[in-house]
Amino acid sequence: MIEIIDIILPILSLVISALLTIPVFRLIRKSSHKLALTVGWFMAVYAVAGTAVANLALKYYGLESYSVLNFTLNGGALAGLSSSFMIDVISIYMSIIVIALSAIILIYTVFAINSNERPSERYFAIMLMLTAALLGAVLSGDLLTLFIFWEAAAAGAGFLMLYKKNALTINSTLKYLVMIIIASAFVVFGLSIVYGITGSLNFTDVQQALVTLADKRLLVIAFIFIATGYAIESAIVPFHFWLPDAYTAAPSTSAAFLSALVDQGSYYILIRVLVFIITPAGLNWIFMLAVMAALTMIVGNLFALIQTNVKRLIANICVADVGYNLVAITSYTSLGLVGNLYFFLIGGITTALAFMAVGVMNSHGYKTLEDFSGIGRKMPLVSLALVMAGLSFAGVPPLGGFMAKYLVFTSAIEANMSWLAVIGVLTSVLQTAYLFRLVNYMYARKPKDETVINESKRILIPIFILAAAILILGLFPQIVFNLLQPGGNLQLIPPI
Amino acid sequence: MSFALLSVFLIPTISVPFVYLTGKKSPKAAAIFVALIAIVNLALIATTIPTILSSGRYVETYEWISVLNASFTLFVDGISASIAIISLVLIIAAAIFSINYMEHKKNLPAYYALLCMLSVGLVGVFLTSNLLLFYFCWELMLVPAYFIVGNWGYRDAYKAAFKLFIFTHAGAVFVLLGIGALYMVTGYTDMFQVQAALATHGGDIAKWVIVALTAGFAVKMAVVPVHMWLPDAHSEAPATMSALLSGVIISAGAYAILRLSLGIVFPSVGAAFGADFLHGMAIFGLISAFFGSLIALVENDIKRLIAYSSIAHMGYVMFGLSLFPVSVAAGSAVILISATAITGTVLHIVSHGVSKGLLFLSAGAVMHQTETRDIREMGGLAGKMPFTAVAATAAALSIAGAPPFACFISEFLIFVGAFQVISYDSFYLIPTAFMLIATVLSLAYSLRFTSKVFLGQPKQNDGEQKKIFDIPNYMKVSLAILVVMVILVGVYPTFFLQLIETVKFGLAG
Repeated sequence: MIEIIDIILPILSLVISALLTIPVFRLIRKSSHKLALTVGWFMAVYAVAGTAVANLALKYYGLESYSVLNFTLNGGALAGLSSSFMIDVISIYMSIIVIALSAIILIYTVFAINSNERPSERYFAIMLMLTAALLGAVLSGDLLTLFIFWEAAAAGAGFLMLYKKNALTINSTLKYLVMIIIASAFVVFGLSIVYGITGSLNFTDVQQALVTLADKRLLVIAFIFIATGYAIESAIVPFHFWLPDAYTAAPSTSAAFLSALVDQGSYYILIRVLVFIITPAGLNWIFMLAVMAALTMIVGNLFALIQTNVKRLIANICVADVGYNLVAITSYTSLGLVGNLYFFLIGGITTALAFMAVGVMNSHGYKTLEDFSGIGRKMPLVSLALVMAGLSFAGVPPLGGFMAKYLVFTSAIEANMSWLAVIGVLTSVLQTAYLFRLVNYMYARKPKDETVINESKRILIPIFILAAAILILGLFPQIVFNLLQPGGNLQLIPPI
Repeated sequence: MSFALLSVFLIPTISVPFVYLTGKKSPKAAAIFVALIAIVNLALIATTIPTILSSGRYVETYEWISVLNASFTLFVDGISASIAIISLVLIIAAAIFSINYMEHKKNLPAYYALLCMLSVGLVGVFLTSNLLLFYFCWELMLVPAYFIVGNWGYRDAYKAAFKLFIFTHAGAVFVLLGIGALYMVTGYTDMFQVQAALATHGGDIAKWVIVALTAGFAVKMAVVPVHMWLPDAHSEAPATMSALLSGVIISAGAYAILRLSLGIVFPSVGAAFGADFLHGMAIFGLISAFFGSLIALVENDIKRLIAYSSIAHMGYVMFGLSLFPVSVAAGSAVILISATAITGTVLHIVSHGVSKGLLFLSAGAVMHQTETRDIREMGGLAGKMPFTAVAATAAALSIAGAPPFACFISEFLIFVGAFQVISYDSFYLIPTAFMLIATVLSLAYSLRFTSKVFLGQPKQNDGEQKKIFDIPNYMKVSLAILVVMVILVGVYPTFFLQLIETVKFGLAG
């Protein structure tokens, strides 16, 4: 039987370890085996948190039926407002991928930045905190709890961008924070209207209330506010301008973390709110979202096409990925949802991998496409990883990106929106074109300088874990589908 | 043997890193390793032939992605076995040829590893009946091809490789759309289940799907007007890769049209649309045949000449495919027009594969020895390189459709089929007449090629001439294998014909 403590434990353990990290680092700095101790500390942290998540997941998968379970902290008169948690297949799945990806990216961060530097312990602590906040967000059971945890994650992400203080990072962080604050104001306002019209913020209650709601005028207003708020946070065109700036200015460790976790978290919220709460039966948002999906795919890919800074190029692919995710949400089918959740994982891994590989190259001073000339010969292993990420983005089988796109486009066809699938396919060709331009630079051009680069072996470990994950999950996507549909063909979309 | 086809997949896949490691010690050993893997695979496929001849089809099924209703279905029937065999023969020839041809190039371990990887996708395409797995293999052909052409090609090789990738990938995503739509409509990803389900479902979507699939595959086949990638890619690629590209990779497009567009979707599109569709294919085939032949007649770059002849030959194949058997009403009964043309087309894929592979390899040998690629600077090479001259002439005559070489019999069968179809569908009268003219053109450019390169007076001065001598032994072995195949298919096509005729088209199941 799942108790509420099972849900709180992973979140709590991460928060406590985040707080402990600062004193622990003070101790580590005094010893002579700094790196080993740092790695050891984080492995211990993730062992605890991972066990807590595994405990939750195993208990859930051990249940006889995989239904939605609600937990409320304190009932009483204001039960509709009290914090509550909810678990279903999707939140379990999300918590597994959050903890796994976070662990790998953190290990990469330990290797990539000098942990003897002063602010590094704060940086790691923020990463752990963010992971905790994301876990809280995916496990929360009402709109308010979701809002609190998610804003903690989104606003906290701003501090990851500020690792090195200079005009550029301060500028882009400020831009990011302003956008996030505006977005949360929108969301709060929308939520207050929802509470006003339904008398509750609990996911299930709100969904039921909205379906039977007679007068939908207020709901439209609430929806516009909520959707705009979350659209800003997940960088849907036309609200995407902050993302390329922020990810380019941030160190690549942060960019990897943000793209793999915070970004995917924002898609999760879109799914949770649009598919499970404001269902099309409550308010028909499908066509509007389809148009936004098309725009996002087109704009994201077109902007990526004209970039010369490789990191910025990858950041623009993140924008385009939002579009592909939206296609699946728009389809409102079980297949689309499975595809979407699979896309989260693969998209997260792929962008993290790309940022990690680019980060290694950046650390040697190679930033623009011109700099990348002939880098494939100089740094063969990291280049191989970047090419794998590129091929996965482009949707070349057997890498994971292919299966993700296949599921997304198929679900669009199933939902009778072939035009969206066609746009998706065409932009996907565009994606192939600019990614292969990158590959072309990496392998075909003569290198600008003849410096010999010794690739650091350590840093390749997390990179190749992710590269192997793309390949294996692409060949055997059933591994992921089993997590999502434990009892065979489970209906993911709630019955209307 | 119950794991025969799975092994065909697994052996080369697992061997890729070992080929790489072997290549680090000795590139020659890696080449022989790749050839040996191909020989083993050839033997494995041979073990399925008795089953094919007795029951038409040999199938192995393994569990894969149950959510998508996709299982790892490997199957082989007469057509796929014939083309897979020819692919493997070409891989053997290419690997052996590489030993001398690539001798002084850099990064050879990677080259052989990529060649090994290519063989997985290339053979896999013909051996699966699962649409997703088919698409996996389809793209798996492309990635190694990109890197081989780019890294070891001539001149502006990466640009050519880029064209190759973008064009064929753009085609492939339309195939993906088609596959997705088929899955959505029928709920199956296995070709034969899709075919059965689609026949009951029918509807307009089949028309869209057949157009999307055929357009996507036509890019791979390089049918005019989507042929632009081919001349560059084939001429800049190393000769071994050109042989594979022209020999089998583009034919995979033809195979896919036959298997998927025509075999699976076509029965559901309805008679009127079906007839228009086939007529359209015939016209595109005709245009390709003329376009390719005419440019090959005036081209002076030895490899571009052969590349254009590939476009021409894909035109013949497209024309042959357009003679797909349809049911027609004859009086009160419904009869099926003869399948001779399709048999001929598949045989043409086989014979064109060996002939074009041989022609590209001998052109590579000539370029390797003379270090030029302009046929105006060649001449009289027959005296200097008799072995290559014989091999190239056999290939050129086969391409021209002269007996007793391979392509004669297949072209003959296509025309026999065409005449049979004309009696039911008078549309084909004019295209067939034009196709006959196109064969004359192909004879013309083949003869021009042979005479310019090997006959006549030597063009080089004496100093240059002394350096030219006949090719090293491994190249000879490789060419000899293909010469034997070209003649064997020409004089004894029965082996392949028997295999091909076990497949029945135009009927459900």
